[in-house]
Amino acid sequence: MENNNSHKEYKFSDILAIPAIRDRFEKVRKYFFLRESTYDMSNRCNIRCEGCYYFAGEKQFAEENLNVHDWQQLMEAEKERGITFVVLAGAESALVPDLCKACFDVIPLGCIATNGLIPLAEEIDYRIHISVWGNDETSLKIRKAKNMLARQIENYKNDARAIWVYTFTSKNIEEAKEVTEMLAADGLQVTFNMFSAPVGYDGHLRHTAKTLARTRAVMGELLAEFPETVIFSPYNIVAHTHEQGLHDLFSCSYPRMNPSTDIGLGRSFRQYRTDLKWDRAAACCVPDTDCDDCRHYAAGSAVVTARMYRHANNPESFSAWLDYVDTYLAVWVKGYEKSKNLCTEMIDPPALT
Amino acid sequence: MTTDSTQTISRIAEIIINELKLEDVTPETFDADLDLVDEVGIDSMDLATIALVLRDEYGIRIDEDDYPKLTTVRIIAEYISSKLADDK
Repeated sequence: MENNNSHKEYKFSDILAIPAIRDRFEKVRKYFFLRESTYDMSNRCNIRCEGCYYFAGEKQFAEENLNVHDWQQLMEAEKERGITFVVLAGAESALVPDLCKACFDVIPLGCIATNGLIPLAEEIDYRIHISVWGNDETSLKIRKAKNMLARQIENYKNDARAIWVYTFTSKNIEEAKEVTEMLAADGLQVTFNMFSAPVGYDGHLRHTAKTLARTRAVMGELLAEFPETVIFSPYNIVAHTHEQGLHDLFSCSYPRMNPSTDIGLGRSFRQYRTDLKWDRAAACCVPDTDCDDCRHYAAGSAVVTARMYRHANNPESFSAWLDYVDTYLAVWVKGYEKSKNLCTEMIDPPALT
Repeated sequence: MTTDSTQTISRIAEIIINELKLEDVTPETFDADLDLVDEVGIDSMDLATIALVLRDEYGIRIDEDDYPKLTTVRIIAEYISSKLADDK
């Protein structure tokens, strides 16, 4: 869609009168019922990655609760208060499959973040996000694990639950094509994440203006070259490679940055630690991230998605937002199929136009 | 209560009923003081959709920061009246 009418004032009904936009809006709004919370499942991991958000801050010291019944009760309580989507994350969920199954049995929509080295049983039918931080040479250096990609592919090839999440650091930008080619060769899917520094991190993986710009270019090339493999959109690229972080661009709506408890994430989102406790002051999708540097794919999935109103000013902006939401759903909800992007240009977020 | 405010309340209720596809309720029977979040189950995305329809209908902008305040149909009607008065 061409960006030729961003200065004209549109009614929402005018925007929805465009059939492709109307259809896409109707497609994504069926999922407006999703209410997420996230859960640290284990305080252990089978690898140790530089810059890992889990092993920053206090949450790593929470005791593990390995009692399946306690987790079932927690999930029942979560369901009761309206949570419809769970994200099972740090440190490594695959170490506690019984707990993952307990969650799935109560709340059947969700996602598991894993390094992919330990396969999860098919009966845990959540979307599975497999983290990849570069080629295997880089993974060995940063994550201290050998042959990561080959082992991940071996574990999750032909598994409809799986999508790889390539985290762009400042050091692995040029390896993304090699990894994408390998995944494409096996008919697998990948989406993109941005390394976002944990609080206090002063290592070499942090992005600079130069690496953000280079990442933007590479993401664009990969999206164009591998449209069946790369689950992303031009607007995702803009939102996640902008010099301003997600909070500056979209005003983060997670409790940690949002005092309102009236509606939306500020009201319903919780981030449980392994001891099944949570702290509103620390609650966001990737706790202990430096908010000024946050460009996490998980954060954007909630923060950008929540800003529908400000994108509904013209067809281009709303199309870009719809592409973002369509991408978010395809990445996070098993069985949801991504459609062709409506907005093929990299347009600025509304606050900056 | 003025005729104008009654009409506004009825129209807002109608929009909410249409957008959320609520059943067993009409604009006339919709309780204007019902808490839209706690009692109707509206969340932020629903409210954003309703806000956009109201923007079309009344030609006003609804600040995203104001969403948390818009907890009942009556409060929304008062908010719209206030915005319209500010624009005069």
